[in-house]
Amino acid sequence: MTEISVRVNGRLRRRVVKDNELLLDFLRDRLEVRSVKAACWRGECGLCTVLLGGGLVKSCLVLAVEADGKEVKTVEGITQDGELAPIQKAFIEHGAAQCGFCTPAWVLATHELLRTNPHPSDAELTEAVGGLVCRCGTYNQIREAVAEVASTPKPRKKVEEGLAQR
Amino acid sequence: MSFGSAYTTLPDFDYHKPKTLEEALDLLKAHGDEAKLMGGGIGLIAFMKERLMSPAHVIDIKGIAELREITGLPGGGLRIGAGVSLTELLEEGRLGEEFGVLREAVSRVADPMIRRRATLVGNLCEAIPWVDSPPALIALDASVECVGPKGRRSIPVSSFIRGPVDIDLESDEIVTAVVIPPARGREGAFEKFTAGSEFSLASVAVVLTAEGKKRVPKVVYGAVNSVPARSVEVEDAIRDGLTPGSIRKAAQAALEKVECFDDVLASSGYRKHLVRVITTRVLGRMMAK
Repeated sequence: MTEISVRVNGRLRRRVVKDNELLLDFLRDRLEVRSVKAACWRGECGLCTVLLGGGLVKSCLVLAVEADGKEVKTVEGITQDGELAPIQKAFIEHGAAQCGFCTPAWVLATHELLRTNPHPSDAELTEAVGGLVCRCGTYNQIREAVAEVASTPKPRKKVEEGLAQR
Repeated sequence: MSFGSAYTTLPDFDYHKPKTLEEALDLLKAHGDEAKLMGGGIGLIAFMKERLMSPAHVIDIKGIAELREITGLPGGGLRIGAGVSLTELLEEGRLGEEFGVLREAVSRVADPMIRRRATLVGNLCEAIPWVDSPPALIALDASVECVGPKGRRSIPVSSFIRGPVDIDLESDEIVTAVVIPPARGREGAFEKFTAGSEFSLASVAVVLTAEGKKRVPKVVYGAVNSVPARSVEVEDAIRDGLTPGSIRKAAQAALEKVECFDDVLASSGYRKHLVRVITTRVLGRMMAK
C-alpha cells in the first residue's frame, strides 16, 4: 500500500492505493471518474485513454502509483466554466457518437491533437488516433468534426445557437 | 469494477521505484527471481494480467536519471538509455539518416499512446517475435549494455534475443542502454505488414553502408520466426546495387530462403508471400531515394 497524491482535472486527490492497482481502476472506482472506460484491458481499444503528465496514455497499462505527484486530465477537464470545448460541439453537430461508449476517449484525444497541432492533415489525424477504436464506426463523422474545428479559427456561432434551441 | 478476474487485475506485488542504479541492483540482489524490472510496463503489465508473470516485486526503473539519457557517442554513434520512451526517442531528433531504419521502425510501433510509455529497451527485453525494433537494431549492429554484480557487459542484440520471451540476461542484471555504432554513409528503411492490429505478421529492416563505391547491405526479417533473422541470400541479390532486376531477385530470394513459421496470426505460406511483398516495397523505396 502506498499513499499517492494525484491532481485529477485540477483537483488534488490523495488516496492509499494497492501497489498492483491500475490507474484505470483508481480513476473509475476510487474517484468515480466514469468517462474513463474499461473495455479491452490490454491497451488495444484506447477507451481508457487519459492525459497523464501532459501526454495521452492508456490507463489500463499504467499503475496508479506511477501517477503519484502527476497531473491527470480526462474529458471532464476540457470544459471551461461549464462551456463545451469546440471539439465537443463539433462532435454533437456532426453526430460523431452513436452508442457513445468510446466518445470520451475520442473527444479527449482529438482535443489534445488540436491543441498541439491546430491544423492536422488527414494523415496526422489518422496517426494520432491510431490507438482508438469505435465499434459503431463513426470514424467519418469524427473526421468531419475534427476538420471543422481545424478550419474554424473562432467558436462557431451556428453550433451555439443550435445547442441553445435544444 | 475489475470483475476480480485475470485479464483485468494484476497479481499482488510490491512496487519499488529506485532513484539510482545501485539501489536497483540491491533490490535485484535481495529479490532475484521474484522481481521484474519495469520500464514502460507495456509488456510486463500485459503479461501480469494474463498471469504469464507473477513477480512478487516490480522495480520501476523510470526514476533512475542516468537511464533516461540519449547520448551521442564519438564518431556519431548513439547510446539510448533503458528508461527512454519511444516518443522521447523520436522527439529528441537524433535519429537522422544514419539511424533512419530505427526511426521508421519505432515510429510505426503500435500507436502514439503506447509509444509514450513503451521503451526501446523494454521492446527488446519483451522479445516477442512481432516486436518491431529488434530487426532494425540488428541491422544497425547495435548492442545491449547491461550491468550486474559481476560488472558491465555488452552483448550484440542478435544474440541477446535467444527466443520468444527469452533473453541473455541474468536475474540480477539490468539492461542500462542500447548502443548503436557510428557509420558514415549509412542509410536504411523499415517495412512491415500488419493485418489491422498492431502485431506485425512480417517486417524487414534494411541498412546499406557505403564502403568505397559499394553499398554493403544488411537485411533482417522480423515477426516471421521465433527470433529476427538475417538473410544473406537477399543481401547477395542486391550487393551490386539496387535496380528493378536486383530487387526482383532479392524478393524471390526472400520468398525461397527466409524461413517462416506458422502461428495463430498467419500461416508460413502467407508469411512467405508477405516477405516477398515487403522486400519489394522496402527496396523499391530505397532505390527511389
